[in-house]
Amino acid sequence: MATETKQGLILVIDDEWESPIVKHMCRKLEEEGWSTECVDLGDAHKTGDNYESFALYAIEDSNPDGVLLDVRFGEHKDDQFKGLEILQKIVRLYPKLPVLMFTQYAQGPEREIAVKGTLQWNSPVDFIDKLAGADEVILRLRRLIGDTPASMSLGDHISLDINNKVVYVKSNDGNQNLIDDINGIKFEILRELATTWYKSPAELVPFSRLERYFEGEEARASLRVRIREIKDSLGKSMGVRFGANDLIMNIRDQGYRLSPPENS
Amino acid sequence: MYNYPKLQRIAKFTGAGISFAGLLLVLISPLFSTEYFPYVLIIEPLTYAGLIVLLLGSIIILSAYILPRFIGVKNSAGIDRGTIEQWSIITQRYFELFHHDLGRPLSRILGKERELRASLPITDEDSSGTLDLLDEIERQVPNFRLMMSNIQALVQLELPTPSSEIQPVEPESIIRKIVDRYAPVAKESGKEITWWSEPSSFGVVPSNSAAIEHIVTNLVDNTIRYADKHIEICLSKNENTFDVRVRDDGPGIEEPYQKLIFERGWTPEIGRGEEKTSSGLGLFIAHTLATGHGGKLSVQSENHSDDSYTEFTLRMPLVRN
Repeated sequence: MATETKQGLILVIDDEWESPIVKHMCRKLEEEGWSTECVDLGDAHKTGDNYESFALYAIEDSNPDGVLLDVRFGEHKDDQFKGLEILQKIVRLYPKLPVLMFTQYAQGPEREIAVKGTLQWNSPVDFIDKLAGADEVILRLRRLIGDTPASMSLGDHISLDINNKVVYVKSNDGNQNLIDDINGIKFEILRELATTWYKSPAELVPFSRLERYFEGEEARASLRVRIREIKDSLGKSMGVRFGANDLIMNIRDQGYRLSPPENS
Repeated sequence: MYNYPKLQRIAKFTGAGISFAGLLLVLISPLFSTEYFPYVLIIEPLTYAGLIVLLLGSIIILSAYILPRFIGVKNSAGIDRGTIEQWSIITQRYFELFHHDLGRPLSRILGKERELRASLPITDEDSSGTLDLLDEIERQVPNFRLMMSNIQALVQLELPTPSSEIQPVEPESIIRKIVDRYAPVAKESGKEITWWSEPSSFGVVPSNSAAIEHIVTNLVDNTIRYADKHIEICLSKNENTFDVRVRDDGPGIEEPYQKLIFERGWTPEIGRGEEKTSSGLGLFIAHTLATGHGGKLSVQSENHSDDSYTEFTLRMPLVRN
């Protein structure tokens, strides 16, 4: 999943920020190119109110690109849902700042709905339970933050430079080889597939979005030919032949989906 | 023994009918009252009569809601409604404590597991046994998450008046979340999930997001067990409903068993006389939730040809205010 691209700062507001599960997640985010900063109370009392003050100060001071926020701060009953209070303040002060909240099932969908009901419909706030894997957290953050990085690694071998509209394949000796025959429409098709894959790896890109690069009645056939050419170009430089269900899959005549090879 | 919901329904309809008659009397009284009745106390008697009938109807409707709480109307098991609600609240609170107590150590185990995994050399043969153990822990996490959420759904289904909160819902976002969670599970067993929506930008629909997420999660969890290679999830919209189809290319379900698939506790192993590998609660909960929210969950399956498949279709109404 790693994209190896500089992505911005994620602020972690969690009283258990030193726990293995949060540390592991921060490390995974850093592998993804994000930098992370955890709100640390230092010698101050570990109360919900202190977390709130420190968190709001950290947001103002660090100007993060996204926030990971826990619901529960400590065992005191007043702080059981302190995270929701902090969320309300963040949303009021920074309405465009993406916030991903950690919940537990017991805190539940009903409460999530209640909180969402107090927010604007399009607030960039989402909820995820704390047992979710780091990859799940990363995908949610990608969608919440919305930006696509300037370069993307598709699996272990292929990378896309979006700004310069070029594709590279990493050879076995670690060199990046430029694939110069994937350009123009072929690059746009690959970019379209990669952008969807980056935010939602199992999501199909419908024909309608890919056929707009072609004119006339033969749009679908032209698309099929270009897809085959992309697969051949990439396969040739990787020393493999991609079959019908490899790299770019045609799903039940609905569209195409990227399925980058790993460790091949 | 009282049939509480039936009695309540009868009382509501009767009250509404009487109220309507009263209202009608009030409205029509000016048309002929001056002709037939002399004025008494400013307003004519027909209006008085209408107001009294209207009041009577309203009292009946109110009684249908309030009385059972005071007189302890009982359900078919002889337990009164108040007690059921009390039990449900106690169960819910117990569940919250249980989840908190269980979730915390589990998240610590998971944290340690993920840290340990990061520190182990992938190619080291000596650590392959440890990696197997770590894989197994990670593989069981979605099961645990689903189990916790199923317990919560069962507790909520116990409530005499389960909540059905309608709010703007983005079904695409729900499917994305579920697929984020289950795609790695599918990949682990050599299967792939693909999903799409028709139209490609589905938009927002009025519905209950928690219920949809719960139903589709159970469907996907079930499908991953039985799929051969591919799982497809398709979202589509009609004029008054929207559908979520979850399809797998597994061996299919024999026709006689298709109607049993949503029964509480039923699993395909029962049909084959084998030991159960799951609780058989997931599809039962999904079906009950779908019906409870005015939707429908159905199954189609083919198990005779090379193109065997099973396809679940969740059809939910587009609720309008």
